[in-house]
Amino acid sequence: MRVCLLYEDRERTNEETYYDTASIIRDLGLRALFSSAAKEIIYENGEVQKIEKEDTFISDTMKKVMMVPLGSEQEIVFRQEIVADCFKHETLIRELYRISGDVLRKWTELGRGFRERMRQGNPVTRLSTDIRVLHLFCDALTEIRALLTKQEGLTAKGLCAFREEFFAAYTKEREDNIRKLLSDISFYTNGLDEKDVAPETIVRPRIVLECGLQDGLKFSNLKLHEVSSEKSKFYRRGSTMERIQTFLNARSKDSFSTQEDAHINEQTHQLEYGIVSYMMRKMKGLTDEFQTFFDQLRFQSAFYLGAVQLSQHMERFRIGWCFPKVCGRRDLEFENLKEVVMGIEQRVDVIGNTCSLLQKDLLIVTGANQGGKSTFLRSIGIAQVMMQCGLQVAAQSFKSGLFPRIFVHFTRREDSAMNSGRLDEELKRMNGIVEQIGDGSLLLLNESFATTTEKEGSVIAYDVIRALKEAGVRILTVTHLLSFAKRVHEETAGRPEAGVEFLSAERKEDGTRTYRMIRHEPELTSFGLDLYEMIVGR
Amino acid sequence: MKTEDFSILDADGKERNPEETDAFFLDLNLLQVIDKLTAGWGRDVRKYYRYMPETPEAEAYRRAVYEDIKKGAAYRALMAFTERMAGVAELRREKEKVNTPIQKAVWMIREAGAYGDAYEALEKDLSEAEITSEGLCRFLGILREILASEAYRSMKEHTDRVLGEIRGIRFLITYEKDRMSITLTDDPGPAAYEEWMNKVGGGENVQLQNPFKADTSLTELEYACIDVLEKKKPKFFKELEETAGRDSEFSSPVLLRFERELPFYLSFRSLQLEMEKKGFAFATPETGEGKPMEAKGLYDLALALTSFASGRKVVANDFHYGEGERFFVLTGPNQGGKTTFARSLGQLVYFTKMGLDVPAQSACVPFFPNIQTHFSVEESVETGRGKLMEELVRLAPMMESYRRDTFVIINELFTTAANYDAQIMGRRVLKHFIGLGCMGIYVTHLTELAEGSEGVVSLRAMLDENGVQTFEIRRGAAEDTACAANQVNKYRLTYEQLKERL
Repeated sequence: MRVCLLYEDRERTNEETYYDTASIIRDLGLRALFSSAAKEIIYENGEVQKIEKEDTFISDTMKKVMMVPLGSEQEIVFRQEIVADCFKHETLIRELYRISGDVLRKWTELGRGFRERMRQGNPVTRLSTDIRVLHLFCDALTEIRALLTKQEGLTAKGLCAFREEFFAAYTKEREDNIRKLLSDISFYTNGLDEKDVAPETIVRPRIVLECGLQDGLKFSNLKLHEVSSEKSKFYRRGSTMERIQTFLNARSKDSFSTQEDAHINEQTHQLEYGIVSYMMRKMKGLTDEFQTFFDQLRFQSAFYLGAVQLSQHMERFRIGWCFPKVCGRRDLEFENLKEVVMGIEQRVDVIGNTCSLLQKDLLIVTGANQGGKSTFLRSIGIAQVMMQCGLQVAAQSFKSGLFPRIFVHFTRREDSAMNSGRLDEELKRMNGIVEQIGDGSLLLLNESFATTTEKEGSVIAYDVIRALKEAGVRILTVTHLLSFAKRVHEETAGRPEAGVEFLSAERKEDGTRTYRMIRHEPELTSFGLDLYEMIVGR
Repeated sequence: MKTEDFSILDADGKERNPEETDAFFLDLNLLQVIDKLTAGWGRDVRKYYRYMPETPEAEAYRRAVYEDIKKGAAYRALMAFTERMAGVAELRREKEKVNTPIQKAVWMIREAGAYGDAYEALEKDLSEAEITSEGLCRFLGILREILASEAYRSMKEHTDRVLGEIRGIRFLITYEKDRMSITLTDDPGPAAYEEWMNKVGGGENVQLQNPFKADTSLTELEYACIDVLEKKKPKFFKELEETAGRDSEFSSPVLLRFERELPFYLSFRSLQLEMEKKGFAFATPETGEGKPMEAKGLYDLALALTSFASGRKVVANDFHYGEGERFFVLTGPNQGGKTTFARSLGQLVYFTKMGLDVPAQSACVPFFPNIQTHFSVEESVETGRGKLMEELVRLAPMMESYRRDTFVIINELFTTAANYDAQIMGRRVLKHFIGLGCMGIYVTHLTELAEGSEGVVSLRAMLDENGVQTFEIRRGAAEDTACAANQVNKYRLTYEQLKERL
């Protein structure tokens, strides 16, 4: 019984994540995305009425799923289709998430998380918990079947397959069998599944057990021939009716009463426990299967619900989105790409950038401080990560290659005091990246090697970037190292086959910034002078 | 010799109970070794490590048995036997726990059956193991006689029949309306309910276990069922109860003794195998008359066992006593491996005498009737005259003239006596032991003892070029050590350094 909504052919396991996900999340600001996806927006008459608190299970799920890149266009399209269907049928995904969440929550309340502790505790309680949990599973599965049966208009391959597999795996016959078993052992929980057992009625077992003898006449080689629960009228102990019944039952000389001797009575209960617990162990495969199913369903539906909620947050701040397309690794094209984290966090309509980098391996962005360079780099990084997990992207259109390995190396200029310790730390991080990087990797450099002098930093950057580019790594770098940028420009000017592109933050004649990136060759002036002018001015 | 007196340890079969442990066990760290050797082999086996064969022939008797055991087939046969006997012991313990005569009878039968099976398997395995030693061959002969005896055959037949019958009984318990009824059945038919559960549950591979399995006694509930069964099969249960009255235990004093003594060989063999796997060498010592005593790659087994776990390296040494050489006088720096070497020599003699292998790459050891050791008690609070007294008191009985030809190990005598006195006393001790035909080693800080006595060879604990101990022991003239300067330097305690620091 599989869910298979994240991958067409398998459930989620411990997939390989990006290298150093902590840096990716921090440098791209992804935490804000996880958290938005986990907040439900309540609308009333088309107006936002309120925003619910963050559902940490969803934000956790978003983090886990987004940090694992998909390997092929096919896998991405598979998820994109489901995301699109979920936008249309929001109730379905919400219900799947709610039902699976409810089951697991109730189970936790019954003591799922404390199983180990309970193992030392009362085994009888544990056994009735197991029985209750199977009831829970059964009821929730029946609810899901009803939900899927009435659902219309599904088009995504993944959702349709999920529905079919569910119908095939949880047939009416299977349900009936499980419910019969639960009813057979209902004497143990005394009518747990039947809400309205009459007060005068008692549920008692009928058990036929086959035995052999071994090892000192101990019972061995036990086999069950029958277990069932029978309702019968309850007579108080010692009452006349009870005595009459005992007398009627005691006629056989091949039998003995389990009530008269306290030890035998106690041992009979142990035997009942042993048999029911054996039967539940027999159901372990089943329970495990359902448990895995609900764990997977909760997780996988959380991702799609997150996608739905994220799109609602984007719409709220007029951030348009599209489903990205996959192309070759040397191409990157987008229209009106926005930095979605900044948009949602600062509640502003951020400036979109449009760009077409065809047959390029290295992008060097230079230009004015506070000109939106880092934002631009981040917007590409975020879009790339969202695309690679099948999510929508904050752009009018977006087309990029697939990079199973993405690395970020960000240095925040504001805290880049020049000292060798910091350079050492930077180089150490770069060393860590270099150990993992290779063909098919994407590297985002933001003000790297800025913790030393511009001259030294330029030499390091030049050597590192040149070597990485030759190793087939796609590099997007924002830099103030103008000697470096100039040197690369001089070497590649007029040679499009070199695959290098230079962009710069646009600056109008009067010095104002548009936060747009334009094609521009690097200049040997520091735009910081502008800032100086603006802030110091003398 | 009578069959009843057979022992796998000694050809004469006399039961010996060693008196109190000789001092050399403690001095040579043999008690630690014996602890390790016998761990998991029961308490009884310790005593067999404490008494040594008295004659060269008795030593050879054991060595032959051990050589047989070293052949894989015999070792495997005896180990398997040991395991089966552990199972029998388990059954015996279970038998003690049960509370009804009927049950006791069943356990007794099971025990007897398992006991017989263990010996039958041993007979078969040993027959195929190509044993040649007098000890094992004689044992095999005795065992065959016992197994062929009428008493054994009839016991075996009875056991098999009763157990077979018990295992053939099948019955149904129907539990309803607070009653359990029992029906005997030959063919209960397929358990359709179990199959249905397999279908529903996905065929989880679990068996329904008797919930009262942990309790070897019958619970009241089980007993109530057996009670009903008894009414249905009265003849069988009557016979069973009669069995319980008889003492059907089958054994003989010879076999019991064999079971007690066997772990002596097996415990050593299994530790040896384990250590060989970790790269420690063992050798069968040559024991021929008139050959010089020598060994290559000799190490201290006690030290090896403690460094076994920590992975520390153990230094091995070579030595030989040349023509006419009787005593080593070993000098050298402190912590240089002198005592360890002396111990390893003593262990070499001990394990040779026990008929076992020795911790060395090769060895040749003549017969010594005994081992004597004298180690100074360093922790003793007594000093000066008191300590010297104590040493001499221990020394005196060792020097009784009847103790001829022994192997003597002396470690630091007379440390508290005046140098002049100590030299003289030392020389006299050496001369005395050599005069009694003893061989041995004398570890001392008195370099003067190393020369000028007949039959004495000087050995030295060596240092490397930096003055660090190598724990190697070599022949060489004794000299006062020069290693101290390095250590003083290392700790910046030379005159110049102290001047600087102060």
